[in-house]
Amino acid sequence: MNAYAELHCLSNFTFLRGASHPEELVARACELGYTALAITDECSLAGIVRAHVAAKACGLKLLVGSEIRFAAGPRMVLLATDRTGYGNLSALITRGRRSAIKGSYTLALSDIQHGLPGCIALLLPDPLPSLAQAQWVAAAFPGQAWLAVELFRGAEDIDRLAALTELGAATGLPLVAAGDVHMHVAARRALQDTLSAIRLGVPVFDAGAALHPNGERHLREHTDLACLYPAELLGQTLAVASLCHFSLDELRYEYPEELVPPGATPISHLRKLTEDGLLQRFPAGVPSSVSALVKNELELIEELGYEPFFLTVYDIVCFARSRNILCQGRGSAANSAVCYALHITEVNPACMAMLFERFISRERNEPPDIDVDFEHERREEVIQYLYAKYGRERAALAATVITYRSRSALRDVGKVLGFGLDQIDQLSKSMAWWDGRQAMPQRLVEAGFDPNTPKVRLLMQLIHELVGFPRHLSQHVGGFVIARGNLSHLVPIENAAMADRTLIQWDKDDLDALGLLKVDVLSLGMLSAIRRALDEVSVLRGRTFTMADVPSEDPAVYDMIGQADTVGVFQIESRAQMSMLPRMRPRRFYDLVIEVAIVRPGPIQGGMVHPYLRRRQGLEAVTYPSEDVKEVLERTLGIPIFQEQVMRLVVVTAGFTPGEADHVRRSMAAWRRKGGLDQFERRLLDGMREHGYPEEFARQIFQQIQGFGEYGFPESHSASFALLAYISAWLKCHEPAAFTCALLNSQPMGFYAPAQLVQDARRHGVEILPVDVMASAWDCTLSLAPSSNAEEQQQRRQPALRLGLRMVKGLTLESSTRLQAARAHRPFSSVEDLALRGGLNQRELKCLAAAGALTVLVGHRRQAYWDVAGVEQAMPLASAPVEETQPALFPLTEGQNLVADYATLGLTLGRHPLALLRNRLTRQRLVTAAALRAFPHGRLARAAGLVISRQRPGTSSGVTFLTLEDETGSINVVVWRDLAERQRSELLGARLLAVYGVVEREGEVVHLIAGRLKDLTPLMGKLMTHSRDFH
Amino acid sequence: MLWLALRFSQLSLEVFSRGVELTGSLAVSEKVGNRLRVTSCNAAASTAGVHPGMAVSAAQALVPGLIVRPRDRAAEQESLAGLATWAGRFTPAVSLQPPDGLLLEIGSCLSLHRGLKNLLKPMRSGLREMGYSYTHACAPTPHGAWLLALEGMEVVIHELAELEQALVALPVNLLAQPAETLVGLEMVGAHTLGDCLRLPRAGVARRFGQALLHELDQALGRLPDVRSCFVPPPSFLRRLELPAPAHEAEALLFAAHRLMPELEHYLNLRQAGVQELELTCRHEKIADTVLKLGFVQPIRAAERMLLLLRETLGRTALPAAVHTIVLHARLIVPLAASNTDIFRDGVEAADGNLLLERLRIRLGKAAVYGIAPVADHRPERASQHCEIGADAGIPCTLQRPLWLLPQPLHCREDRFVSKTGPERIESGWWDGMEVARDYYVAQDRNGSRLWVYCEHSSGEWFVHGLFA
Repeated sequence: MNAYAELHCLSNFTFLRGASHPEELVARACELGYTALAITDECSLAGIVRAHVAAKACGLKLLVGSEIRFAAGPRMVLLATDRTGYGNLSALITRGRRSAIKGSYTLALSDIQHGLPGCIALLLPDPLPSLAQAQWVAAAFPGQAWLAVELFRGAEDIDRLAALTELGAATGLPLVAAGDVHMHVAARRALQDTLSAIRLGVPVFDAGAALHPNGERHLREHTDLACLYPAELLGQTLAVASLCHFSLDELRYEYPEELVPPGATPISHLRKLTEDGLLQRFPAGVPSSVSALVKNELELIEELGYEPFFLTVYDIVCFARSRNILCQGRGSAANSAVCYALHITEVNPACMAMLFERFISRERNEPPDIDVDFEHERREEVIQYLYAKYGRERAALAATVITYRSRSALRDVGKVLGFGLDQIDQLSKSMAWWDGRQAMPQRLVEAGFDPNTPKVRLLMQLIHELVGFPRHLSQHVGGFVIARGNLSHLVPIENAAMADRTLIQWDKDDLDALGLLKVDVLSLGMLSAIRRALDEVSVLRGRTFTMADVPSEDPAVYDMIGQADTVGVFQIESRAQMSMLPRMRPRRFYDLVIEVAIVRPGPIQGGMVHPYLRRRQGLEAVTYPSEDVKEVLERTLGIPIFQEQVMRLVVVTAGFTPGEADHVRRSMAAWRRKGGLDQFERRLLDGMREHGYPEEFARQIFQQIQGFGEYGFPESHSASFALLAYISAWLKCHEPAAFTCALLNSQPMGFYAPAQLVQDARRHGVEILPVDVMASAWDCTLSLAPSSNAEEQQQRRQPALRLGLRMVKGLTLESSTRLQAARAHRPFSSVEDLALRGGLNQRELKCLAAAGALTVLVGHRRQAYWDVAGVEQAMPLASAPVEETQPALFPLTEGQNLVADYATLGLTLGRHPLALLRNRLTRQRLVTAAALRAFPHGRLARAAGLVISRQRPGTSSGVTFLTLEDETGSINVVVWRDLAERQRSELLGARLLAVYGVVEREGEVVHLIAGRLKDLTPLMGKLMTHSRDFH
Repeated sequence: MLWLALRFSQLSLEVFSRGVELTGSLAVSEKVGNRLRVTSCNAAASTAGVHPGMAVSAAQALVPGLIVRPRDRAAEQESLAGLATWAGRFTPAVSLQPPDGLLLEIGSCLSLHRGLKNLLKPMRSGLREMGYSYTHACAPTPHGAWLLALEGMEVVIHELAELEQALVALPVNLLAQPAETLVGLEMVGAHTLGDCLRLPRAGVARRFGQALLHELDQALGRLPDVRSCFVPPPSFLRRLELPAPAHEAEALLFAAHRLMPELEHYLNLRQAGVQELELTCRHEKIADTVLKLGFVQPIRAAERMLLLLRETLGRTALPAAVHTIVLHARLIVPLAASNTDIFRDGVEAADGNLLLERLRIRLGKAAVYGIAPVADHRPERASQHCEIGADAGIPCTLQRPLWLLPQPLHCREDRFVSKTGPERIESGWWDGMEVARDYYVAQDRNGSRLWVYCEHSSGEWFVHGLFA
């Protein structure tokens, strides 16, 4: 049997050409007994890491290369023989990608004028190279160039082989067999044709000659190859493969150097910074537990050589602090004592029994994990800082591989199979946002397709194959890779869709697999809001007030949280969190950490929520099957809540190593998709039996791991989030005006729209003042009404909140700035004055008039609009005022004002719309939210409100949660699936909805279980409100 | 003067639904911004909760199985032109009020019709027969009548004073003013035309422009409003959607029968005849079948055209059922003009094609054709019949026999003396005619060069073609 190495093979990372995953290609090559396999994606190394991981697992030799089409020149495969060659290839790809728009590349032969040291060139035979080209390649790659012969059982095979032989003889280039592989098995032929048609943008039946005539471009068996190619050509593949001895394992990440001052070593510098930080953090003396922790951590960091990583993050955080950008680290390594000392996190290790295993694992040689969240509006400054500091050659964003989902696959495949656009639209749209892939056949029938016709079956099969295929590379939300030297010699860099952004061709899993460092620079809206609120509080209190000044463990804050009074509070403001809070009644910080983690798909699917609640409420005894388990689960009353706990359980109960346990977590999603779960299940159950655990317990743990694998929330993240939740709750509790003001100025963010935030603030006694060109700034502001009563001043009455011009739809920051500058000079005397000195145009003036912001200046909305519309454009400075007859304009009614408020500001300071309709509603026996709260369990009730949100969690088996709002508060409605199907139009369409149903009460948590929905939207006239649909 | 305004408020919908008995929900969509929105929908759809302005995705989520057609403004224009031509039977003064209205000056011809009632009655039945719904109003000014029709007030007003009374109550958003103006009027609380008129004129002109006052004045008859009369277009194009897709020549002929008299009427008006006529039959999903009728002499009589059409239809095999026919008079020439040239004797025109013409007459059109390559890997699909002399397209570089058998012939492998190959062809999985074969060029005992293949699935051999 002849041995063979495939030297020319595309994976599906050559988008819309390759029809197999890298892993599939590797597995198939291994199965066929190939000596080696080259993955040679077109001007890309995006799939190489996946192939590398797979090849390592099955012991196949992997060659790294790339297929490149040179402008006005030949096509070549370039294979890296060693690390230098790899670096050159990566740099070449970078060059090609960076000089073209996203998704394409441009390279000319001049780019490899002197060959590419360390690389082998295979000159590809299609189109047949000219003699001059072959000679050029032979000269540029002396002794390193081959002529590839690729035969696909075509009519022209014999001629082609003859022509190439002749060319080889004329140039001295040896011939080698290659397969131009596009798929791992011939069965992918239909998909490959489909991809070609998608790429060309034509229906597959019109793609004609652009399709391959047959399915020969797969990994072929030796016997097939042997009857096609002369034996010496097959033998040459081995010769070429043996020259390539580069492996991705040789890549060594090198940390940036400039973080350590001259004369210091990384560890001495880090140690010094940590010690300085500790003194700041604990002016009264560092607790011994903390110094022990720090010592321990620093030893580990030194041992593994991670000092530069901590120094990198510290550098970024320092920059942010110097610019007064609030930031907060999270992730396993972030909640360490070292990070607390370095101000990377505010979570005090002295107050928390942090789990340490995941800090950094000795056993897994993988970089520690720290994500840093920054204020969402200012993260760009941090990113630009990184680019400026390290340069674009050394810093780039990690990629996110965008893959085909059911909808995108349906759209693309449907189009090329010739389905009508409206048919595809209908099908794709009829899949509501909550439908998963399982719903496809059912939706097909609903959309009028017969799932049994051959064409529809083809559609389904191709979609099934295509889903999960990479479609393009996009930028990761904030994962930066920073290198010591030129990054492009490590991994190719390409342009992102966004101008001035570059990204590397690998995603975060690829980086993980190769042990490359990445720093996550993320954005978080709540940090912007907290920073603003702290600034306001500093002004109000007359001294700098930071996160560290917020008193911890304030009972008043926990009282408020326990009543689910958490609109606007980070993480615990959602509908699901709010219904959990009165049951949990958090009393200390660690309770919040649990609260943040428990209302998540992981614990919900794993069935942990109710057992935990019962134990917490003392309804169930806290027991542990063993001392080992007790140690892991004691802090959560014997119920696993956090991802770390579940992974730890696998270690202590089934004898997995920590590394294996972590591997389980990472692989869970893949196993569920592609199979492989049963193997793990068996091993887990066996292991637990050996350790003496009952079968029932083992099964339960297995269930929980399944839930947690994908959705589990790590304690380390939870702790960071809980801190922000506590800080924001404290602000809401003690400084509601400043808090609301900050939230409004940080929009859009969070769960609630400005209308709800303002309603909530007013319910808490904050006075809200309307938008007024005579008083408002761009942002919402606080104003302390002058009070003669010194005592009242002493009590620190809440300031009033003046809505800012930012609330006015259609107004820009620039025009607001001009307006404010002019007003500071002297107050406006008329609309003309406003237009002239404020430099506002008609459109902006009209926006202000419509929003009622001119009321103080000229009067009600209609009058203001009339006046504004009369302002001449480009009015000469000295023009005499036009004498005009004033029309008699009537002010708007309350209802009309309300409509105008919502249309121009998105909120009203007048009465709640439902207050205006209350008489009608009462006649229909609809009660208020306040009244409903007093209803006993099981009582029939009718209530109505504006639809604030609709939620359909993936875990809740088709239940839709509605939140309605009336003038007294909100109403939580539960709609079961069958009702949702029956009254789909009311559920999805109504803005004002009445619900007839039954009250379900559990303690203070009241739900209205819907029995019938009634759309009352017509009552609202033109009143528009925003409902936010959450996934 | 008395103007009759006709407004076809459902026109965008009716260009699709007219002539088809539809039980399901239908909506017409148009792109607004970058979202598809419903512009109109039928009764079934609106009962289910669909309303104009709704996002199409929302409508589809609401009504599974909703048929959504993208708005076809060209078809609407065409329909409106057709209606205008038709309305010419009531009065010579018909003007278009795009996109969905007609204005008829009927004051001067009322006596001819013996009263308004006798004019409206045939109009109503005619429009109903054609499947159009409409509202109408009569007023002394064209724009006044139009505004009333827009509002759906089916009134007959003869006096200007009476018209003013009716108009002041109408909402401002009926006016043909830019959206900005309408919003502005709303903002100052002017909801009706009366409200507008009560505002100071100079102030209104300054804020909302002279155009607004102009429009109001025209509607009220204070300013002249000259309307240009509709002139039938220079070419004739009519389409007819068939109530149910038809396959038989007779059914199509019957449909064409309804269009031909219209053509004759049109040609009469223009003192012209037609020399080239095109009947396009539209099929679901596949390309149209186009029948071309050429006449040596321009003709006008519907009888003769139908005769020729019958002949052509009889010879044409329609690939699928037809849902719409389109009649297009491509070449219209004044009948009086001479169609021969004294300096040419006609030989040049006849030349080499004469033989082909004769062959066609003898053997039938279907038997004489050209061959054009088609980009498809499957040999049986790699060529198609085409008009003789039509553009031949890209020639095929592969080795292919000139004569491909219409059906591959089953044969035995041992019949071949020698064979070279293979050429593997695997393609066509998408239309149920998948091919997976290895082709060879073989020589049989008689020395003929054959193109043969081995079927992958069965391993059986077939002869597919002969080399010359």
